[in-house]
Amino acid sequence: MSKKRGDTFRKIKRYRGIYLMLAPIAAYFLVFSYYPLVLGIVNSFHKVKLLGGSQFVGLSNYQEVAGSRLYQQALRNSLFVGIGTFLLQFVWGLCIAVFLNEVKRKTFKSLIQTVTYIPYLLSWTVVGGLWITIFSPTGMVNGILNQLGVQGSTVFMAEPAFARTIMIFTGAWKGAGYFAALFLAAIVSLDYSLYESARIDGASRWQQIIKITLPQIVPTMKIVTVLSAMGVLRNFDQIFVMGNPSINDKVQNLLVLIYNDGILKFNVGTATAAATLVLIVTMIISFVVRKLLRYDEAYDGR
Amino acid sequence: MRKRRLSALISALCLTATAVTACGGGSTAQGTTAATTAAASGETKAQETEGAKEETTAQAETAGGSVRILLNVTGGKDEEEMKLFVEALEAATGLEIEVEKPASDYSKVMMQKLSGGEKYDLIYLNASEYANLIDQEALMDITDYVKNSQILSQNVEQSEWDDITIDGKIYAGFNKKEVHRVVALNNAMLKAAGIDYQSIDPTLDGYYEVFSKLKETNTETDFYPFEVIMKDAWDLQPWMASVGVKTGVVLDDSGKKYAPVSTEAAAPVWEWFKKLYDEGLMDPGSFVDATSDMRSKMGAASKKSGCCVDWAAWVGLHNSNALAEGVSEDDYQVVSLPGCKTPDGNYMLGKGGASLFAVPANAENVEGAVKVLEYFATQEGGELLSIGVEGHDYTKEGDTYTQTEIGKTHGNDHGAPVPIYKDFKAPFGYNPGMEDALQFGQYASIEMTIPNEADYKEIVGKWGIQMIKGEASIEDGLAGMRKELMERGVTEVE
Repeated sequence: MSKKRGDTFRKIKRYRGIYLMLAPIAAYFLVFSYYPLVLGIVNSFHKVKLLGGSQFVGLSNYQEVAGSRLYQQALRNSLFVGIGTFLLQFVWGLCIAVFLNEVKRKTFKSLIQTVTYIPYLLSWTVVGGLWITIFSPTGMVNGILNQLGVQGSTVFMAEPAFARTIMIFTGAWKGAGYFAALFLAAIVSLDYSLYESARIDGASRWQQIIKITLPQIVPTMKIVTVLSAMGVLRNFDQIFVMGNPSINDKVQNLLVLIYNDGILKFNVGTATAAATLVLIVTMIISFVVRKLLRYDEAYDGR
Repeated sequence: MRKRRLSALISALCLTATAVTACGGGSTAQGTTAATTAAASGETKAQETEGAKEETTAQAETAGGSVRILLNVTGGKDEEEMKLFVEALEAATGLEIEVEKPASDYSKVMMQKLSGGEKYDLIYLNASEYANLIDQEALMDITDYVKNSQILSQNVEQSEWDDITIDGKIYAGFNKKEVHRVVALNNAMLKAAGIDYQSIDPTLDGYYEVFSKLKETNTETDFYPFEVIMKDAWDLQPWMASVGVKTGVVLDDSGKKYAPVSTEAAAPVWEWFKKLYDEGLMDPGSFVDATSDMRSKMGAASKKSGCCVDWAAWVGLHNSNALAEGVSEDDYQVVSLPGCKTPDGNYMLGKGGASLFAVPANAENVEGAVKVLEYFATQEGGELLSIGVEGHDYTKEGDTYTQTEIGKTHGNDHGAPVPIYKDFKAPFGYNPGMEDALQFGQYASIEMTIPNEADYKEIVGKWGIQMIKGEASIEDGLAGMRKELMERGVTEVE
């Protein structure tokens, strides 16, 4: 044990330059991430007043969140929209990547890649506003429906029946280009000789995609899935911009509710308790996904 | 392997922390962190300020030093003009003024600044934030300062003070006089439909007739005679007046809170909204539009709407904008009416919640802050907040005011189109049509200030939309509205 400790000290001494260079980064995370995080968790056990002191209330903030119909509904909405968006974005991004790989003209390929990637770079304020206009009573969707002979106009953004579908579709639309870029990067780095051998064996282009391309990029798919699982409950901007009272029952999610509670109503204790629960649920989701994908075993095997 | 799992868990922890702290570009956790820091020192601050409160006999005339102000809508339109605004305020009060105006997300920034322990002597806030911050013990009781100040007690209507008195205490002074909302109608469209606006029958049926005629006259598919911002239940008062129902939350005989718009008494008005929607007289955009969309549709540039409920000031602004665009009164003119008559032959209009400057509990120069509030409640202060800075927005020779080209573009608004001084005389008068609209102020009253106003709007809006679209019957919709209002603590009785 003491020998091991001695080794560690020796290593630290030897690489002290590197550790010194890492120190500012570590300090940054300690001050701006972990310190607020710990204080946030501490707050979740208090009834906090802006300037009037705080009072320890034990688990009552957690009990309030757990018993709140709004938070329960928000959790369901977060999971439904989060998972739905991820699945659609995954398939959509994969399709773009696979089809882009088939495009031979470089200019055309770059053009499509840029066009599909641009929405990812835009903020939800822009993208949300765009889709609200497209789905408005005088917008493009109603215009097309009218051209097809459908009478009247539908206020899509006020229809609870369409709300989740719209959020999932627009979320996937915005992020598909990003996933496509990740998948395409994996595809282009595949060993070309595999395709050559397959062609010699008489495999069709479709068979090459199914039998070579997709299996070969499974590790990338796993990374994308694990990273996305951590972000399933992170969606704030989209719902903040595109939500409205008539569809909130279907789409209002945990982060928006935390924002409303903490920032607009100054219920800091409840908001931080809910934020801590989001943290715990995210850790659980992340753990389960990693287990299901056997992510760690695959990583160990390398 | 274990180490990797541990590092994975820590990564997840960090990522989620980032997600939570970064939500909306703002910071729940950071805000709450700051709240803790502030909370720790809060009691000491409260004790310190308690001592200061006891010395309220010291009048604001003796005030000096510097005053730090966090503001939102008030002041210059750009950095350069804000500098001139501050200089003018300093010259008038003899104080050293420091202002801070967040570029956006004012409420969030204010909350974060206060919770972080930053010290201001005045902060701008609206009625809902006022109630919330009093609840948070973040504001200072300045009742004695107000009572001891001749300017504040005499230059401002007592009713204005009554509106912001909570449990017998006053915690703020005024940024501006809040005006009321009126029914705004496009008179050019009314004339085209053969309607004299002054002879409109002030009943739901009377307005239904008007909307029907407007729709017959204007056959454009995207034209709708009426629009209302239903997602925020804004503003239903002129129509709810027809059944004598007050919007917002009120107290019943036993002192318990309830929402009259959710009661059976309001059912005929909800039926009326449904009828308008079913017959294509109400813009379907009413369910999703914001007030800016409504104003855009009502404006001379689009003319997609014939009637809405808006601030009295907007009646004048629509007309002023149209004239500036070269549109004649024959083609476009907005006029105002007080809506439907109540069963007892009166009118009911909604007045804006207060627009205030409050003194935070940790303010260091309360006397200086009160002096600024006093200045805002004078003719000169009102001029600074409305027509702007002398020599920049206007020039003055004797009693003659001349607006500069820059001043003309600022629409007589530097935070207070209608200042709080009760005898204020607008040097350039009001925009066309606004004075008529202001006369209806006698029928206006504010809604009760509640901390969870956002919940009220969301719930009434949600169920209102369901009833209008026919997704819920009026009876079920009202029952659902009452139940949810109570569940979320907005009301105390169904």
